[in-house]
Amino acid sequence: MITLSHVSKWYQSFQVLNDCSTEIAKGEVVVVCGPSGSGKSTLIKCVNGLEPFQQGIITVAGTSVGDRKTNLPKLRARIGMVFQHFELFPHLSVMRNLELAQMKVLGRGREESKERGMKLLDRVGLREHAHKYPGQLSGGQQQRVAIARALAMDPIAMLFDEPTSALDPEMISEVLDVMIALAKEGMTMAVVTHEMGFANKVANRVVFMDRGQIVEDAPTAEFFQKPRSERAQVFLSKILQH
Amino acid sequence: MFSNFDFDVILRSLPYLFVDGMSFTLLLTAFAATGGIFFGTLLALMRLSGLPPLSLPAAGYVNLMRSVPLVLMIFWFYFLVPYIGQWITGAPRPIQVGAFVSSLVTFTLFEAAYYCEIMRAGIQSIPRGQVAAAQALGMNYVQTMGYIVLPQALRNMLPVLLTQTIILFQDTSLVYVLSITDFLGAASKVAQRDGRLVEMYLFAAVVYFIISFGASRLVRHLQSRIAIVR
Repeated sequence: MITLSHVSKWYQSFQVLNDCSTEIAKGEVVVVCGPSGSGKSTLIKCVNGLEPFQQGIITVAGTSVGDRKTNLPKLRARIGMVFQHFELFPHLSVMRNLELAQMKVLGRGREESKERGMKLLDRVGLREHAHKYPGQLSGGQQQRVAIARALAMDPIAMLFDEPTSALDPEMISEVLDVMIALAKEGMTMAVVTHEMGFANKVANRVVFMDRGQIVEDAPTAEFFQKPRSERAQVFLSKILQH
Repeated sequence: MFSNFDFDVILRSLPYLFVDGMSFTLLLTAFAATGGIFFGTLLALMRLSGLPPLSLPAAGYVNLMRSVPLVLMIFWFYFLVPYIGQWITGAPRPIQVGAFVSSLVTFTLFEAAYYCEIMRAGIQSIPRGQVAAAQALGMNYVQTMGYIVLPQALRNMLPVLLTQTIILFQDTSLVYVLSITDFLGAASKVAQRDGRLVEMYLFAAVVYFIISFGASRLVRHLQSRIAIVR
């Protein structure tokens, strides 16, 4: 469903992505990990065109992201994205956050949008918070609303950019639970995360990045048991020693 | 010391001062502020567009307007607008637009430069992630600005916008150079006619002070109420 082939990106002379190729099939869950500054967030933002790239081709459901003729807003509306810092709209209530894009982008009516929004709030366990403003919710609750907001658009795939990195430890599992449930339902997901427990549990594959390159792209069990590259071995030994 | 002053003249001229004078002042302030914020926002979006054909003219306009004295602009527009009108419509004679329209155009264009800088700061104060989130949901530029960025920028900047509007309210008194009957103009006319300069100018000062000070207190009160919980 999502294909990246030979994607490279530069910030001026600094190369952030170096010849990255991988593929995410329908219903597959892929975890992208690696040390900070390895380009994993940049890579995932290239998938829905939030970051431009200079070389290579990315296609989502057959549509080329980098093509000038591609209607990017239309393409983005079909891909859900969850950010590290939630990025709920603070001047709108939780319900308005869920309704807005459904109404303005998909052209749904208010009743339908509200109903869909309520259903998803229910799903993430926040039905009774619909009237509140994002600032009145905890980080974990905000991130769950953000997931519901993305799901309300009925996306064909979901991108997660370090969804738990800005959360207090006790709130991480409430967000991961929602994501695990989503993965088990067969949602196509690309997840940038350091949560190796999550990767172990639901990921089909793990993509390991370092210095802008995809160093390792392996089935989950294989990646954890016998990573081929030395860099992945070092990374795993550091992250799993606790 | 006030024994040979006649404060009765104020009472007698109240209807003239407020019905003719103050209503003009408030109307001009309201229209110029609305137009100024509208065009100022457009200018701010142009300046921030990152497209030189848009951002350079906008920056030039703002710098020009902020470097010219307001009185000069008022004069200039009063004498020039009729000729511009003639040039645009191709009429045989300069088009007389009247003092109100002329001063409205002047103040709108002049204030737009100041409102532009306020809105620019407001737009820049919105985290980039908000734009990314709106785009990720499939919103286009107009929707992102209209539903996400500008409402937050306006709210953040409301106190500054209102403070600028209070300055505008005071500045409208400069239309007296066109002999327009705004509040100060009306007070001035009564003062000249009845020879009561001290009384009338004192009264005008008190009225300007009460309105401006009251409004700025209101802004402070508002400031604490509209803050977005983050």
